[in-house]
Amino acid sequence: MQRSVAGISRHWRVHTTHRLILLACLALVPCASVSAATVVQPDARIGTLVSTVCSSCHMSDGNSAVPLFPKLAGQHREYLARELEDMLDGKRRNDTMAPILSQFRKADIPGLADYYASQSPAPGTVHDATLLEAGRRIYEEGNEESGVPSCSGCHEDDGSGSERFPRLAGQNQEYVVQELRRFRSGSRTNVKYMNAVSKRLTDAEIVAVAEYLASLQ
Amino acid sequence: MKKLPLIALCLLLSALDAPAQSQPPTPPRAPGAEAAGFTWNRMTADRRQALDAKGDQERGKVAFEPCRGCHLKDAAGRPDGSYPRLAGQHASVLIKQMADIRAGDRDNWKMSPFVDKHVLTPQDMADIAVFVQGLPVPAKHGIGPGTNPQRGQDLYERDCARCHGKEGMGSAAEFFPRLQGQHFRYLLREAIAIRDGGRRNSNPDMIQAIRGYTDADLEAVNDYISRIVRR
Repeated sequence: MQRSVAGISRHWRVHTTHRLILLACLALVPCASVSAATVVQPDARIGTLVSTVCSSCHMSDGNSAVPLFPKLAGQHREYLARELEDMLDGKRRNDTMAPILSQFRKADIPGLADYYASQSPAPGTVHDATLLEAGRRIYEEGNEESGVPSCSGCHEDDGSGSERFPRLAGQNQEYVVQELRRFRSGSRTNVKYMNAVSKRLTDAEIVAVAEYLASLQ
Repeated sequence: MKKLPLIALCLLLSALDAPAQSQPPTPPRAPGAEAAGFTWNRMTADRRQALDAKGDQERGKVAFEPCRGCHLKDAAGRPDGSYPRLAGQHASVLIKQMADIRAGDRDNWKMSPFVDKHVLTPQDMADIAVFVQGLPVPAKHGIGPGTNPQRGQDLYERDCARCHGKEGMGSAAEFFPRLQGQHFRYLLREAIAIRDGGRRNSNPDMIQAIRGYTDADLEAVNDYISRIVRR
């Protein structure tokens, strides 16, 4: 049940009528189909961190409302843990996260990663559907002339990623654009081959592939 | 509502972290076939370590993942010749080419960031090589136009078969690549580069063998190679 509740919590306060309808629907869902076993019940400290620190930007269900902040819901726990560790170690420099990281300890990382990995990702938002075909081409085929590999080689055809490569499906378009530009400029250096790949992408290709990712579920 | 100031602060910091553009890295470059005293298969520490390491197919499958963006998941490459087929290639040949590219003996600006010393260890190269060598060779690959098969066969048997074998299987021990099953477009592109000095890690014997070839000769012989069927 927790998975469904977390998934709709953003809309929870919107309307009492909706709330009642949702409650009625949830009551009708057979418990077995909700796969509650995959949902992580955070311990008290992790729960407090999520509600008082992380949720301000990433929301408590991990579906960040501000497009420049990444969705964490459904991201691979290994990736979340690695990136948090890299930020704490200074390998991934991020001025936005820097003041916030002082409130974490390394020991919090597995719990935070487990918590956000177990949330349900909300669908992404496409801003310009005319770019989707160009984005798909970059994602699935790359650009032979400029040496851009297909993204799907690592991130999988459906953008689901793996324990070694982040899930990109449904990610906020603005965040993807921002990170590819950071890789390209060298301000993010914790994945060496992404620096090489991003330097071969044009601005237009970056925007197109980010739109395409937002369209994947 | 009390979260709004924190979001505003995050956004402000985000804006301050705006990136600037930087230049692509310069690929490595070492003296190659164009330089006096070039030893084609000189044994560097990097090559020795990778060749001596015992490759592991399971680890290789993981280490190969970043290669799939160009060479594709089954390592079949692309028939347009942009990326070679790797499946079934000799592990020793794969290691030599990876090591040559990262040492700057073979110029390959597309691939060099992916085989950089900060990205792959000699053990990774051994793992990738043994995994790729063991992949099934796809049934189909890009073949030539079939315009001059007899000329192609004559040239192959006269100049190529001695090293690459009658069936184009090459030699793992000698670092001679398997040509059978390779895309015609890739074979032709590399043969032209070898003849014209663009592939600087070439075996001098190989350069010598095709020095006098016209473009039509190169097309005919690689057309023939692309059509060799293994018995």
